[in-house]
Amino acid sequence: MRDEGWMPYAPCAFHKEVNMRLPKFEYLEPRSLKEAAKALAADPGGTLLLAGGTDLIVNMKHGVIQPKRLINLRAIPKLAYLSEGKDGLSIGALTTLHELASSPLIQKKYPVLSQTAEEVAAYAHQVMGTLSGNLCQGNRCRFYNQSVFWRSVRPACYKAGGEVCHVVRKPKECHSTYCGDMAPVLIAMDAKMKLVSPVGERILSLKRLYTQNGKKPLSLKKGEILKEIFVPFPSGQTLYLKWRLRDSLEFPIVSLALHLEKNRENRIDKARIIFSGVGTGPVEASGAEKILQDGPLDDPTIEKASNQAVKEISPLRTSITSPAYKRKMAGILLRQALEKISS
Amino acid sequence: MKHILKLHVNGEEFEIFAEVNKTLLEVLREDLGFTGTKRGCDLGACGACTVLVDGKPQLSCLTLATAVQGKKIITIEGLAQKGELHPLQKAFIEKGAIQCGFCTPGMILTAKAFLDEHPHPSEGETKKAISGNLCRCTGYVKIVEAILSVNENQ
Repeated sequence: MRDEGWMPYAPCAFHKEVNMRLPKFEYLEPRSLKEAAKALAADPGGTLLLAGGTDLIVNMKHGVIQPKRLINLRAIPKLAYLSEGKDGLSIGALTTLHELASSPLIQKKYPVLSQTAEEVAAYAHQVMGTLSGNLCQGNRCRFYNQSVFWRSVRPACYKAGGEVCHVVRKPKECHSTYCGDMAPVLIAMDAKMKLVSPVGERILSLKRLYTQNGKKPLSLKKGEILKEIFVPFPSGQTLYLKWRLRDSLEFPIVSLALHLEKNRENRIDKARIIFSGVGTGPVEASGAEKILQDGPLDDPTIEKASNQAVKEISPLRTSITSPAYKRKMAGILLRQALEKISS
Repeated sequence: MKHILKLHVNGEEFEIFAEVNKTLLEVLREDLGFTGTKRGCDLGACGACTVLVDGKPQLSCLTLATAVQGKKIITIEGLAQKGELHPLQKAFIEKGAIQCGFCTPGMILTAKAFLDEHPHPSEGETKKAISGNLCRCTGYVKIVEAILSVNENQ
């Protein structure tokens, strides 16, 4: 016999949440970047920028981000372009990942960029998602990127406005992980960015965009907006290897961008090794880079460099995969990438 | 904040008074009655809500309705012309590529955008293109067959 209090479709937290409405916000469509930068600077705490929305809107539905006002950058004309100059390629901040993946110019001269753009999520996300949005995407953590219902069983984590990081169980720390795909490749290629603010423009190397602070991952100043990304003409080989649970619609468990420049004697002039998915920002394995520097690309060097790279990353348990597994895979990815280039 | 929202859906102009925080999915289903666009995960992970915006697939659950004013939106209801089903719709029926039917609108619209870009795709390219659309009946084999059969017939 059924208990009297039993109701077949009793309302519960989960049922309430099945209908995920966006919280209320003000909406602004500026006509220029300058106007957008001024509006952003006027209320830096409550205003956020909207580009493709594939990251921000999800976080808003999960209630971890609650902006008072959204500025839709897509309303601004002429921010999506690809133009090649003498020294390299300029990419408008709002160029979509699909445009990068399908552009004949990029496919021919910067193939690693189109390949990487194609590895981000899936078709519709690539059509919506922009390069600047991908670079500035939020850090991820298994305690943070969850629904209100899921998160309601414990106090809010530090990143979501609480006191304690549930990953390390310590106050005022955040170890959320940067999982972007485009950033490691562009850092390995020495990309720079043009930033616009109400007071003017400045150039910053992409590497310095990332603070390695999980709570505030980007080093953007008040009112600053990304306008353009500049990629120097590639002088060596760049590879991007992404290890994930399935071949589509997944963030990396760990991914690697490797850039190598060899000289005439087949020795390595320059090596850049950047990992994603293993730290609070893109992580450079400088020790492993030093091992490769000036050496030939033979089996002992490859072995030594991969073993060194594993020691240089310290992932934490911010996803369902264990830190030990991530470290192991990071070494394997580097070995695969180096073997691919050496063969 | 409510505002007047002008949307161009399936060749028709619509003007409604709506909250600015409504997603395109909510407006299509609740205000305009285009319930062919499905709400699955509501987080952009399943592809059931895919619609075409200016011919390209977009996840309507992650799109603000106000941001796509002035753009041409096609939902599954707008694919058939003058009572004649679109070749992709016919192919899905012929190949039995529909089980429960929940993923079908998103699958067909994603496939349409894909075939417009790649008229002669390989099986691998096709699988990759629809990899953001989940079919929980797992009827992928028939779906891929249906999409590939469209260009064979042309």
